[in-house]
Amino acid sequence: MDESEDVPKDFIKLKSEKLSVDEVSELVVSPYCGAVSLFIGTTRNNFEGKKVVHLEYEAYTSMAETEIKKICRDVRQKWPSVKHIAVHHRLGVVPITEASVIIAVSSPHRAESLEAVMYCINTLKASVPIWKKEIYEDEYAWKENKECFWAKSEK
Amino acid sequence: QVSVLYFARSAELAGLRCETLSVPREITSLQLWEEIVKAHPRLAVIRDQVIFAVRQEYVLLGDQLLVLQPGDEVAIIPPISGG
Repeated sequence: MDESEDVPKDFIKLKSEKLSVDEVSELVVSPYCGAVSLFIGTTRNNFEGKKVVHLEYEAYTSMAETEIKKICRDVRQKWPSVKHIAVHHRLGVVPITEASVIIAVSSPHRAESLEAVMYCINTLKASVPIWKKEIYEDEYAWKENKECFWAKSEK
Repeated sequence: QVSVLYFARSAELAGLRCETLSVPREITSLQLWEEIVKAHPRLAVIRDQVIFAVRQEYVLLGDQLLVLQPGDEVAIIPPISGG
């Protein structure tokens, strides 16, 4: 066991290939941690009675990575025992039931990693410049997270 | 001269993703929006829903004075939907 295991790491990736739960959880596993908590955001097949054919994501990539790094820094301030954090977000076309985002956090005990994962996804939805387009059978719609403070929710 | 980046709905309305724009070095965020709408009038419909990211920091459209350097990135940010 070498000493680099001790250093907490953030693993942030935006990619167009299919996300892997195994890969993301293996990134955060640590012999010093008894808990790995995971969140997987998947694609639903319907919205307000319309059938969703697939989702498409785009991102302001450089700023999205910076904002996710800020989230990781905040997590470490709020939950200092958190060891590793991994956030993988898919870009481009995401078929139904496949994952759009996977977040994994490891910590010695479970409370911190569970809380940190929830904080990560909630804050990601409020602050990271990534956009989702829902493609229906004969139309599409750009979605707006309710967490986004500059969206007008008059729909 | 700054780089303006368009995303999501704003890219569809402007018809492009990226361009350089000549603007005064000191300008309010609202004035900057108005310059951009002059170039792409179809963007006017989303005025109430967008903010800027200037050098990757969010800025509301309003009286905030921006001090821009050549090559700065200014992005139009429609309501986000990550996750």
